[in-house]
Amino acid sequence: MAADYYQVLGVSHDVSPEELQQAYRKLARRNHPDVNKDPAAEDRFKEINEAYHVLADPKLRERYDRYGSEFRSVPEGMDDQFAGAGARGRGAGRQRGQPGGGAGWAGEAGPFGSSGGGAVDLEDLFSDLFGGGRGAAAWNAGADQEAELELSLEEAYRGGRHRISLGPRSYEVTIPSGVVDGQRIRLGGEGGRGRGGPPGDLYLVVRIAPHPRFRLSGRDITVDLPLAPWEAALGAAVPVETPGGEAKVIVPAGSSSGRRLRLRGQGLPNPRGTPGDLYAEVKVMVPDQLSEAERGLFDELSRVSTFDPRRSR
Amino acid sequence: MSAPTRYPPARVSRYRLDAFAARAGLHPDMLHRFVALGLVDAHPDPGGQLWFDAADLATVARIRRLHNDLSLNYAAIGLVLDLLDEIERLRALARWSRS
Repeated sequence: MAADYYQVLGVSHDVSPEELQQAYRKLARRNHPDVNKDPAAEDRFKEINEAYHVLADPKLRERYDRYGSEFRSVPEGMDDQFAGAGARGRGAGRQRGQPGGGAGWAGEAGPFGSSGGGAVDLEDLFSDLFGGGRGAAAWNAGADQEAELELSLEEAYRGGRHRISLGPRSYEVTIPSGVVDGQRIRLGGEGGRGRGGPPGDLYLVVRIAPHPRFRLSGRDITVDLPLAPWEAALGAAVPVETPGGEAKVIVPAGSSSGRRLRLRGQGLPNPRGTPGDLYAEVKVMVPDQLSEAERGLFDELSRVSTFDPRRSR
Repeated sequence: MSAPTRYPPARVSRYRLDAFAARAGLHPDMLHRFVALGLVDAHPDPGGQLWFDAADLATVARIRRLHNDLSLNYAAIGLVLDLLDEIERLRALARWSRS
């Protein structure tokens, strides 16, 4: 681990043991893989433990301050370190990856150990990091993780291959056509690494990005249908944009703004049932500027018509 | 990880106490204690034999991680699990209402 241990724990170099523990406990809680589903949390959690393990031990901390992150490879202190706490940690670490090994029972970490007077609590804390010293658990399954997978509406409509990078990991997942917002895609065994036990699962939670034209509600899509006043009044067959391409919609005569015309089955597809619908929502538009002829016709219309939209509703 | 992989749905199955404990990496006595604390559900058959859901292997792993990593005692973990489940439920609800 090359990261600066003080930075990892967000503390200054003259931090007191109490402050150190406070900072550690808070970070450990927040980044625990069972509390924080972010795939990066597990690595952060390990780094936090590693940093605290070193800084909480006065001897290790002194060596760390003196030699920096390479302190473990500095020969002098090696004897003390490996004779003491370090040796247990390293030795136990090698036992990882032995599921079902005879010694692998998870007992209570506390009662089994009698060594190291005040260190009981730490022992408990670090049993995970170092594969469990003393009679404690030697292996365990990994935690499930969760990551967001943002798709455009078109991608959700079509489905297909999608590449996603989570830190150093990269996956190519096949998105089924017609996923909906919030749907979870499970990648078995791609979650938190277990200690010797099976890894957890990784869940990709689909998030469909807002679209400039299409509004999504479940599998139903709404799109604006701009109409000229005469198209709205007389009825028309006009093209409307759908995620699958252009479609024709028949506008009945007398369609005011807000009227929703349903194109059945033109929403997001549904691999297990009926697809969503597409709603074309009428939006009557008028020209910014009228030509002489248009002005004349609208004038005539306003004289002839008895229509009052504020009364006849 | 470039080839698309098919992930089969989890199988629903049950294990007897000893088999479950072995798979969970847990001493059978410890498993009894988990049951007594209401952390894991045991399903007794007519013969008095205890059976456990395979899905609870993940629960046990979670319990052990929380115990080892955050030095929570097992009784407190019951509460933590309930709260985490509740948060998960609320998040799912929030996702649902956003869409």
